[in-house]
Amino acid sequence: MATTTNEREFPITTAQLARWYDIVRESPPVVFGIKWLKRFLFSEYFILYLTIIYFLIMTERIQVLDTPLNLTNVLANAWPLLAIAIGQTFVLLTAGIDLSQTSVMAITSVVGAALMTTNVDPLKFQNSILWGNIVTEEGGLLAGHQYAVELAILAMLGIGLFIGFLNGMAIARFRMPPFMVTLVSMTFFSALAIYLTQSNNIRGLPEDFIKLGEGDIISIYVGEQVRQISRRDVLSFVTYPLLIAAGLGIVAHVVLSRTVFGRHVYAVGTNARAAEVSGVPTKRTIILVYMFSGFCAAVAGIIYSGRLQAGRPTLGENLLLDVVGATVIGGTSLFGGKGKVLWTFFGVLFFVLLSNTLNLLKLSAFEIDIVKGSIILLAALIDVTRTRLLARES
Amino acid sequence: MKGNARKLVVLAVLTVMLVLSAGVPYYTGQEAAAQDDITICFAFQDLETEFWVAGHRAITETLRDMDIEVIEVNGNQDANRQYEQVIDCIAQGVDGIILIPQDGESAVTIVGEANDNDVPIAVFNRPPSDDNPNDAIVVVADNEIITQQAVEYMAEQAQLQFEETGDKLQPLILVGDLGDPNAVGRRQGFYNVIEANPDLFEDPIEVATEWDAATALANFEAAMVANPEVNFIFTSSDFLYPTIRSVLEPMDKWVPVGEEGHVILGGLDGDATACMLMLEGYVDATGVQDLFYEAEITMDALLAAIEDENYWPNEIIPDPGFALTQGNIEEREMDMWGCVLYDEGFLDE
Amino acid sequence: MSDTILEFQSTSKAFFGVYALQDVTLNVERGHILGLIGENGAGKSTLMNIIGGVIRADGGQVLLNGEPYRPRTPSEATQAGVAFIHQELNLFTNLSIAENIFIDRFPRRRWLPLLDMATMRAQTQQLLDSIGLDLSPTTLIERLSPGERQMVEIVKALSIDADLIIFDEPTTSLTARETEHLFEIIERLRAAGKTMIYISHILEDVMQLADDIAVLRDGELVGAGPRSEFDISRMISLMVGRNIEQLFPARETAPTDDVLLEVRGISQSGIVEDINFRLHAGEVLGVFGLMGSGRTELARIVFGLDEHEAGHVMVRNTNNHRLSARRSIRNQIAFVTENRREEGLLMNIPIADNIALVSLPRFANLVTQFVNRDTLVQTANEYKALLQIKCGDIQTQPVKSLSGGNQQKVVVAKWLMTEPSIFIMDEPTRGIDVGAKYEIYSIINDLAAQGTGVLFISSELDELVGMCDRILVMSQGEVRGQFDQTEFDQEAILRSAFREENGA
Repeated sequence: MATTTNEREFPITTAQLARWYDIVRESPPVVFGIKWLKRFLFSEYFILYLTIIYFLIMTERIQVLDTPLNLTNVLANAWPLLAIAIGQTFVLLTAGIDLSQTSVMAITSVVGAALMTTNVDPLKFQNSILWGNIVTEEGGLLAGHQYAVELAILAMLGIGLFIGFLNGMAIARFRMPPFMVTLVSMTFFSALAIYLTQSNNIRGLPEDFIKLGEGDIISIYVGEQVRQISRRDVLSFVTYPLLIAAGLGIVAHVVLSRTVFGRHVYAVGTNARAAEVSGVPTKRTIILVYMFSGFCAAVAGIIYSGRLQAGRPTLGENLLLDVVGATVIGGTSLFGGKGKVLWTFFGVLFFVLLSNTLNLLKLSAFEIDIVKGSIILLAALIDVTRTRLLARES
Repeated sequence: MKGNARKLVVLAVLTVMLVLSAGVPYYTGQEAAAQDDITICFAFQDLETEFWVAGHRAITETLRDMDIEVIEVNGNQDANRQYEQVIDCIAQGVDGIILIPQDGESAVTIVGEANDNDVPIAVFNRPPSDDNPNDAIVVVADNEIITQQAVEYMAEQAQLQFEETGDKLQPLILVGDLGDPNAVGRRQGFYNVIEANPDLFEDPIEVATEWDAATALANFEAAMVANPEVNFIFTSSDFLYPTIRSVLEPMDKWVPVGEEGHVILGGLDGDATACMLMLEGYVDATGVQDLFYEAEITMDALLAAIEDENYWPNEIIPDPGFALTQGNIEEREMDMWGCVLYDEGFLDE
Repeated sequence: MSDTILEFQSTSKAFFGVYALQDVTLNVERGHILGLIGENGAGKSTLMNIIGGVIRADGGQVLLNGEPYRPRTPSEATQAGVAFIHQELNLFTNLSIAENIFIDRFPRRRWLPLLDMATMRAQTQQLLDSIGLDLSPTTLIERLSPGERQMVEIVKALSIDADLIIFDEPTTSLTARETEHLFEIIERLRAAGKTMIYISHILEDVMQLADDIAVLRDGELVGAGPRSEFDISRMISLMVGRNIEQLFPARETAPTDDVLLEVRGISQSGIVEDINFRLHAGEVLGVFGLMGSGRTELARIVFGLDEHEAGHVMVRNTNNHRLSARRSIRNQIAFVTENRREEGLLMNIPIADNIALVSLPRFANLVTQFVNRDTLVQTANEYKALLQIKCGDIQTQPVKSLSGGNQQKVVVAKWLMTEPSIFIMDEPTRGIDVGAKYEIYSIINDLAAQGTGVLFISSELDELVGMCDRILVMSQGEVRGQFDQTEFDQEAILRSAFREENGA
């Protein structure tokens, strides 16, 4: 491979992957015949394999794709998306959908920032209803407070839970369709976020908060020894978003696969009526699932706000396709009852890698959306076919 | 059935592979480019208004003329997407970045990211918000000065009219959303001229528009009904000319320069509509951001920084702009970006 | 002179490594009616699904009119002249009879994209007349009774001019009159020279209709021949592989006087009216009623799934103010619903998880709520063994791949695991075979012997009379009669069930 001379790459991973790639490429097609293809298709890790293959193919075409700096970028983009997609996974498992996640991000971003900010432009904010109570010339309500960041984060998570609770109540208690309920709350809370800030961004966030969006805990340098390491060669390795998203992911995985609640989520998504007869607390399960979805969206809101160093009323406006797309590509069914947190992680990886390569290929935003849309459609097609084939094989 | 399904899967997988591999042209990356070649990442937020279309073109053409490789990325009005695109650019090893940010706040964050990675960055036309602690070349139009230039020419015309009639003129300004520093600067420029000529002007009438055509129409119509004597109008943005026309025309006040009943009219931006109205003689003067100058000065400053290996250039370059007036339209028409668009038939589309 | 229309040669099919059909060799004679019988899971449906193009055989071959026959889709089967009248009817209830019949080949007005409604109606009318069905082609399916829908399915089969018509449990949801009518039609079809395969659990019907009989057990053909070689008891012993002395197992214990469940004045307008009864420990209380009599609705109310306006339910002399499924489960009530597909099972989920669904909290750590999977699977396996559920690995095999009888056993296992003291069973033997029925009956007896009270709801009077200590008769939402075991008289019970309906 052309890039093996590049000294900036990760020695183990790339070399290993390259070897696999060569094996696959140089083997006669017979070896990887139907049997192999079947195993590949029916594997739980199908989308992970696809991601790796895609990566290997694109590495040849995009020189910078496997550079450490780019890989850290890909991962940095994955964490917040993973956080929000985990919540969506739970909702999809109950055969619902949560379109309001992006508006939860926006509203939590704005409210959290308004509470913490130390820098407010009176000209911009004097028309806001927050002016004079939550936001004043001195900054937000919590500005300068010892636990400003902690309290603001609690408030943000609380709002996420609360919006999820409203969604869940409307869906479980009043039996309104999830699509409608969350579409309305998406519109409502997006508009509310813009109204609260009069469409302005809020800066002046505390350093401790910004750190959550991009801060490194461990940085690494890959390359030969030189006296002075250029700053752009110092790479993030372990970051706060990683810890947050991975922590959330592990907890979500354990809850889903090991606890009574997790089994109930699958039961409700597979057959709500049978679940109800069997004493599954279907309403409570649905409400909790939407609350968790709101919580995850708030977590993503925290990471994105820290990363962009501002509270933004338009945060995540275009993210919905990415969230649902990544989750569905991972293999979680839109009809409920089928899906895993791990799958969603693979889906997110694939999706982020896809976006990254499209950026590197210099495609326009519109072309990127067209390609993304097609890929999601294709993934859905493959998924349907796999499921059908699986059913026949058994 | 089984055979069909299998064929379908194989077909689908093959399609994916084909689309992903063969469909994508080989991309000879930046690293292949020789050391002395310069690559610049141009990140803009969208191309949905004519001003940004013109700005985008001014920059890309300038760069192309200099034989510089450009990586263009369009954030499509999404700050997070733009952020990710810029760090992807940095990963590609670009030598410099030109940024038209989504807003002042995200500009600060992106500039900080470029600083951290030792890539010089220039912010074009929309400055980072006031508290920017990071280093960037910032090229920004000086709204106050540009407005002043346009209104000064209008005041000269007013002076001529005053000498003819002996009546003071009644000025009116359509102000923008005062949460926007641009609107504040433009209003200030207007008042600077009016207050310098107390003998010439009555107290001005202010019409709030909130940068919204419907609001502007309602408020402007009311103001004109209440004060039909208004004969000197300045609009803080050119996009309101159609609104102004729709109110003045029924009042027989939409008259070209030099004819009886002409209202002295001016604005700011320099878009294609303004150019057309200037050429038709309805508008006296329009303040123009000198986009072509801005593009060039941005390039120069950024290339100088790259040359000097100055990773954190920090300067603010104001664009004084100029006023295109009925007096100088002959010579300077093509310096105004709106006229370039107009000339290319932009309004016919 | 008889010739063979359909020939199975060593046909086999396995699911999850378990043979559903093994080496079946069988001929179907042209113009004959073949009665196909066997317990649920014996392979009848598998065999028919192979002919119908729903699934494909793993081994052996099938000949149709002497030609190899391997339909890959149901429509290929249709084209080959095979019509399949399913147990679950495949009709679009929002469309008319005519539209349903022509759904896959609407007549056009020449090249125009318009339907030729007149032709459609005329042809449908002709078909309806041919089997003596007095319905208009434009009637919507949703307005038809289950029996009439069945007839429409038959008309559909006739409309494609099928040579071979398969009936899969056609009388399950039919009234006696409708069944009679169906048999008349079948006789007409026989007279017209059609070949038919008739699958049923009702052995008397098979005896009445079939020319030849084939018996499947555990995927193998255990007996085949002309009707004259069979009688009911031989059929049963072939099906179950042993002799059944009686249809209902005997119970050795008697009910006690302890009241477990007392229903007082339960009413819900338009559904049930002032229902009162008591269920004692060790008692099997039957509830007899026809469809729409309110029997299922009553069970749902008592279990807390549906609302009621008046009255209350006492469990072990404690009043329950608000009923809910969860509360009922805490009160050790179990409820086998009438419809296992829609309300009983999570079809795509493995057997073990289905069995453990209600008892999940039992396997969970109190604090962490973590489920102990090993204990869960182990316990589920014990119940699998207890109920003799025929399946592969209960951790991976989804319930939907089981036969109807085994699915029902999974539902029963799920509730047995909660160790209930009150067991409500709504049509627990519907659509399952003689052997599985017998097993369910034995479970009911065992439960009663352990002191559990069983509320046994059924529309099959035979089994109630055979199993119960007392029978309540419901009609139009009311209890119309109560019979103690000593007074059981089928005619009297039926009369009280029909009494008002005939007058109304």
